[in-house]
Amino acid sequence: MKKNQTKAWLFLAPTVILSTLFLIWPILRAFVMSFQSGSLINLSWTGFSNYKYIFSDPEFWSSMSHTILYAVVTVPIGLAISVMLAWMIFSKVKHKSFWETTFFMPYVTSTIAIGIVFRYIFNGDYGILNFVLKFFHLPTANWLDDPSMSMITVIIFGIWTSLAFNIVILMGALRNIDPNFYTIAEMYGASSNEKFWRITMPQLVPTLAFLLTMDVISAFKVYTSIYALFNGQAGVGNSASVAVFYIYNKFQMVGTPGVAMAATVILFLLILLTTFLQRKLMKKIGEN
Amino acid sequence: MKFGKKLATIAIAGAALILGACSNSNSSSSSSDAKIPSKITKKTTIVFWHGMTGVQQSTLKKLTAEFEKANPKVTVKLENQGSYPDLQSKINSTLQSPKNLPTITQAYPGWLYNAAENNLLVDLKPYINNKNVGWGSASASGISSTLLDGAKIKGTQYGIPFNKSIETLTYNKTLLDKYGVKVPKTMAELKTAAETIYKKSKGKVVGAGFDSLSNYYVLGMKNEGVNFTKNINFSGATSKKVINYYADGMKAGYFRIAGSDNYLSGPFANQKVAMFIGTSAGEGFVKQGVGKKFTYGVAARPGKYTMSQGTDIYMFKQASSMQRAAAFKYIKFLTSKKSQLTWANATGYVPVNTSVLNSKAYTDNSDMKTPKILKDATKNMYTLPVTKNANATYSQLSTIMQNILTAAQKKQNVNTQITNGKTKFDAAWKQ
Repeated sequence: MKKNQTKAWLFLAPTVILSTLFLIWPILRAFVMSFQSGSLINLSWTGFSNYKYIFSDPEFWSSMSHTILYAVVTVPIGLAISVMLAWMIFSKVKHKSFWETTFFMPYVTSTIAIGIVFRYIFNGDYGILNFVLKFFHLPTANWLDDPSMSMITVIIFGIWTSLAFNIVILMGALRNIDPNFYTIAEMYGASSNEKFWRITMPQLVPTLAFLLTMDVISAFKVYTSIYALFNGQAGVGNSASVAVFYIYNKFQMVGTPGVAMAATVILFLLILLTTFLQRKLMKKIGEN
Repeated sequence: MKFGKKLATIAIAGAALILGACSNSNSSSSSSDAKIPSKITKKTTIVFWHGMTGVQQSTLKKLTAEFEKANPKVTVKLENQGSYPDLQSKINSTLQSPKNLPTITQAYPGWLYNAAENNLLVDLKPYINNKNVGWGSASASGISSTLLDGAKIKGTQYGIPFNKSIETLTYNKTLLDKYGVKVPKTMAELKTAAETIYKKSKGKVVGAGFDSLSNYYVLGMKNEGVNFTKNINFSGATSKKVINYYADGMKAGYFRIAGSDNYLSGPFANQKVAMFIGTSAGEGFVKQGVGKKFTYGVAARPGKYTMSQGTDIYMFKQASSMQRAAAFKYIKFLTSKKSQLTWANATGYVPVNTSVLNSKAYTDNSDMKTPKILKDATKNMYTLPVTKNANATYSQLSTIMQNILTAAQKKQNVNTQITNGKTKFDAAWKQ
């Protein structure tokens, strides 16, 4: 028994050392730095003043609320659409693997490249989206240059990009459902609606829980898609500034790493709390 | 069990070693303030970080090759760090481990405020006054004293001006002639001209816009006699006057902002805007975009002051005395009359060497329109003060103005946005 343990240590050692160095140490360092002020080369203790600063900074609050809004809207809608599409491909469409590949394409393409294409689609003057809307006599919008539209644009783009990964994982989960369930359900005359809600959905819960956690965490860390959509800014007038933008700006541009790290700690706690609540919730759903 | 303990000890020791090594590098390489060598006696490599692209980068490469040919002992490694914001963040994050800093870098003085505070930059005055490596004196360099002063941080000459530009007015001459509009010289004339164009084109062409909203505000205040300091009352009467000039135009439709286009040269080339105020270094892009669609013209920026912008070259302390001397020789070469003429003619940057500004070879350049107006346009220049948080607040101004102006465009109340802006403006000065 004891021998086993020593061997385990040996095998774990690389991971333990690397994760201490590259995962745990940065978190601790960030935590320590959040109580320091000055530039990176000349840090000094300052107590809670960085936290005081971010809590009174309107930019911080707008960045945080944008982040939460993005996570709360993008994740559920993205997941719902993914389930719908995955179910459609799985149950109703021929050439499944072709469609699966098509839907997976965005995932393997660089977000920056997709973002640039979307910048042209969304353009208020000559974008294809407004062209299509006009064609159907629908009201158009200034997707990129109107601050009140920025978050909506980012959310649409976020939902679209989240589909790829979700669908592929869901397809895998759908394939794993025992086909006998459906055969028996058919024998007893279940409708396709009943089959979906009574068999498919309960079987998908563990996968959905996994996707929900992953999607929420990545939604809290959204950065690249905004950077690409708005040409390197966080939208006109910082209207799509999110937590990571705020952190990056304070750290790299303004040169106040302490403030950036204080915001990082808050974001970290927020993600931790959300993930914790989610797990509790999913456990409850799983039990029922 | 013993094995596990041993392993843990080794792991901790290893981690400590690595971390120790990381933190040690901070302190060691601070001073090599030896005497300035009069000659480069051994092979020396210097690293130059820059943010130049397109024709700017190719011209810099060409000049560097010339320098290396004339100084066979010196190798200059040009390292492109992307756009200015990328370069700024790269410098900021590398300051922590000075050993990885380049010998010299392009930078705005405001970026290096912290570096200067922490004694990481080389004071270039001794090099300027050195007869072998430098010019012997600042006046012998031929670089304008205003520009040299602009490259000082807290009174010390840490930088040498290199690629400088000013804000100018670019206009669609064909369109202005068609509507009988004169090229505006004052801000009041700019407003009337923009209004006329907007009306006569039946709202199809916006009159004018400003590329940099930060510059718009800072110069607007300067024209009212207010310098850019933390004492500015953002919601005060003068500030509101400056803001409302632009906001009124946005409301009525004759002014616009660049928005997600970032620069107005694009909409200008597509004849969506008739005039815009932007950097003179953008003329190359304007020329390319306009092509043969219409004739464009360049004039001095309306109003008394124009912004002197663009970067200087700074040297970091970790360089050896030989590297420093070689790097300064390189800087001297780049700012020489011959190099500056090549540089300015190819890129549209304003030559830092005054003798180039007045030379016929420059003013008679038929490819570019900026050279002819430079003498007039550079009479009253303003540079951003290098004080704590000035640079951060200057960047923040752009977002604040975007919020105010887009609200005006949607005919919303501007005053609420100005009040919000004041909070952000004051917060930016205080961080």
